[in-house]
Amino acid sequence: MTLTRRQFIRNVSVAGGALTLGFQLTGCSAKPLQLGNATDFQPDAFLRIEPDGQVILQIPKAEMGQGVVTGMVTLVAEELEVHPSKVGYEMAPVHSAFTDPEMRLQITGGSASIRVYHEILRQVGASARETLIAAAMQQTGLSRDVLEARDGQVCSVDGSVNLPYAELVPAALNLPVVTDVALKTADQWQWIGRYEQRVDAAVKTDGSARFGMDAAPEGVLTAVLLRCPWFDGTVESFDAEEALQTPGVQAVFATEYGVAVVAEGYWPARQAAGKVKVSFTPPGGGLRDSTAINDALLAALDGDDFASVRDDPAVADAEQGTLVSGRYSVPFLAHAAMEPLNATCRLTADGCEIWVGSQAPDVAQDVASRVLGVPRDAVVIHNQFLGGGFGRRAAADNVAEVVAIARQLKRPVKLVWSREDDMRHDWYRPAMAGHIEARVHADGTVSHWQHRIAGPSINQQVLPVLMGAMFPQWVPGGARQLVGDFVGKKDFASVEGSKELPYAFDGVSVSCHNVPVPIPLGYWRSVGHSHNAFVVESFVDELAHAAGIDPVEFRRKHLPADSRERRVMDAAAEAANWGHAAAGRFQGIAVHDSFHSCVAQVVELSLVDGKPKLEHVYCAVDCGQVINPDIVKDQMIGGIVFALSAALHGEITLKDGAVVQSNYHDYPLLRQTDTPPMTVVLLESTAPPTGVGEPGTPPAPPALANALFAATGERQRRLPLRLG
Amino acid sequence: MLAFSLNERAVELEVDPETPLLWVLRDHLSLLGTRFGCGMGLCGACTVHLDGAAIRSCSTPVSLVAGRSVTTIEGLGGNHPVQRAWVEHNVPQCGYCQSGQIMSAAALLASNPQPDEDSIRQAMSGNLCRCGTYHKVQRAILSVAAVAHWEPVAEDVS
Repeated sequence: MTLTRRQFIRNVSVAGGALTLGFQLTGCSAKPLQLGNATDFQPDAFLRIEPDGQVILQIPKAEMGQGVVTGMVTLVAEELEVHPSKVGYEMAPVHSAFTDPEMRLQITGGSASIRVYHEILRQVGASARETLIAAAMQQTGLSRDVLEARDGQVCSVDGSVNLPYAELVPAALNLPVVTDVALKTADQWQWIGRYEQRVDAAVKTDGSARFGMDAAPEGVLTAVLLRCPWFDGTVESFDAEEALQTPGVQAVFATEYGVAVVAEGYWPARQAAGKVKVSFTPPGGGLRDSTAINDALLAALDGDDFASVRDDPAVADAEQGTLVSGRYSVPFLAHAAMEPLNATCRLTADGCEIWVGSQAPDVAQDVASRVLGVPRDAVVIHNQFLGGGFGRRAAADNVAEVVAIARQLKRPVKLVWSREDDMRHDWYRPAMAGHIEARVHADGTVSHWQHRIAGPSINQQVLPVLMGAMFPQWVPGGARQLVGDFVGKKDFASVEGSKELPYAFDGVSVSCHNVPVPIPLGYWRSVGHSHNAFVVESFVDELAHAAGIDPVEFRRKHLPADSRERRVMDAAAEAANWGHAAAGRFQGIAVHDSFHSCVAQVVELSLVDGKPKLEHVYCAVDCGQVINPDIVKDQMIGGIVFALSAALHGEITLKDGAVVQSNYHDYPLLRQTDTPPMTVVLLESTAPPTGVGEPGTPPAPPALANALFAATGERQRRLPLRLG
Repeated sequence: MLAFSLNERAVELEVDPETPLLWVLRDHLSLLGTRFGCGMGLCGACTVHLDGAAIRSCSTPVSLVAGRSVTTIEGLGGNHPVQRAWVEHNVPQCGYCQSGQIMSAAALLASNPQPDEDSIRQAMSGNLCRCGTYHKVQRAILSVAAVAHWEPVAEDVS
């Protein structure tokens, strides 16, 4: 995992506009990056040190609670030899210097930020440090081997020289940046693996943190949008006579996305919106009701039009052993982040400025430029803190809407979605169905594992949007859709977590079938893992019971002795005192790999008056080298709360093509009173860091379903689960 | 003209009396720390204090606060024991719900300086957190309760 020097330069070097990025498919040329002042020492796109010594890091990823700012600050601070609390940070502008080298977009997802950037950012810190030391060498005439960087200063080992970075900035900015640097070894780390304070905790505690919702350019008006309840309708006609009489209302007009109601503030806009009479074009064909969709998914499982994603031949005789089968299904889910979607737009002479909390600001920029009909460079994105993302804020439908409104209004405008808008116009986790059958043999071995997955492809819908920002804008939408349709036949998002089984089963085959629906779909925390882990780990439990073997013992039998999964599962089982639960307590286990990490969880229940009650969740994770232990634990716990909300309550249903649920009363989340105590074990590892934002989510639903089976003897194969 | 006390300062403004306090704070007075989450009093992101008690500002018409005393997250001052505990325990993740969590916690501690875990859970159950910071919320409140000499702030004992 060592970057060559050339790769490093390709990733980070944009100083002076001399772009050397290898990836040039972004089409329109990127403007040279201009951050800070000419008197700042700016060794690369990520870092600058101002004349007063203030260090400022550009954060190329969205901070949506996962702690990426703290993680990135810690990595840079470690090598730069400054205390992490002294490192300032800014949300990076859209620029190819910040394009994720793996995903080819400036996107936050796939739990990839620290995995992809940990070495790059250490290099950034080390490179700045060595250049500052070079400046000190020039200034003092001392050689490199008698100088060291320590706590924001360059010091001589004999203590005679102590130069704060501030004093070295003027010299450093005239020196060539030292890029050939040695990174500190793990035994030299002060902060990596130890730093516990979130650097954004204070601003998120005193009310001063600014989210997209808080953008307030001068003279801004507030808009709300009346969208068609079904997803393929447009405005046919509307009557705004009464709405326009509401005090404070400025304008009511139709856009391609719905009828915009603009007022001085949210309240008059929302009040007036309630008085607009709109008719929309009638819904088209296709699957438009949840029950019809569920029936179609189950029917598809019995079809034969499946695309194979894995097909290992079995050695065992196909007639031997006991055939076990299970048919599972999961519903559509909403993201329901606490901050309803919003975006603010101000037109400029040649384009516009957008304030938004986005997981993909380059996608937002591309979408805005298309709506406005200007080059991408004419759109400036000011990325904000995200009041939750979970995948929802990788889409830019809110941005398209606000630009369409601003284009007609010609005044700065903030579009605010209501909670109802947010619930009813999400890009949903698709409903999915799965059928697995396998043979269990007398010795507990498993053969002929056949897993069929039927459901709508996310990437058939989403990739064409993302590719809009990835490719030059002259690439036609039809071509992007063709790629989406092609990927949709074998969508990796549909099958992830099903084909990479950690178990040594004999003859594994996995295949999928795309069932398109006229409902917007999107990435939802852990994406395909969110449903495939439920199906696979529930079914492994079924096999264990069919074999008459304890579920942990059964998994141990099939997980290679030296495997990461086995170590993680054993750690979770040990934390939970598996097999020795107190009287009246019932446990279920699940282990799942996702985003290069491995997580195992044990859910423990009791029965109160015959009704299951969550008592405790035990979690073990191997995510490679931990940067900030407290944040990793929080991500595991948060991922479990997110998963349990879905497993116990989450269900979006559709009627006549429109979403039925509207707010937190009919799409409930776990509350303080519902959340059981949890224990998280971080496994020691010196391997490079892997994902933590999503991997905590997939194992919880199957661990809960398995605990319910242990408690009640009833196997539940459909989410959400029923408690009693 | 509607008059009330906001963070210990007198406020007067012309506004539709039906306007929820939340939107008066955000759109009229530019106090942005109080958050809009659901508009129905279901999530608690908009929690502020009215005469020391926690209320949902998204479903409180501003006419109801006339002549009374409103405290928002900004009014806690940043150095309130609950805020200090929040930073010390790294409670926030995305942070969006935390103004509301903190206002609920401060109101709880003002009325019950030594709550046990169960009363904390009950008192905080109106505040949703999609990131799942509930354990940290609980721990931070317990840490404040454990400091015996902590006195509720003046606003809360009126």
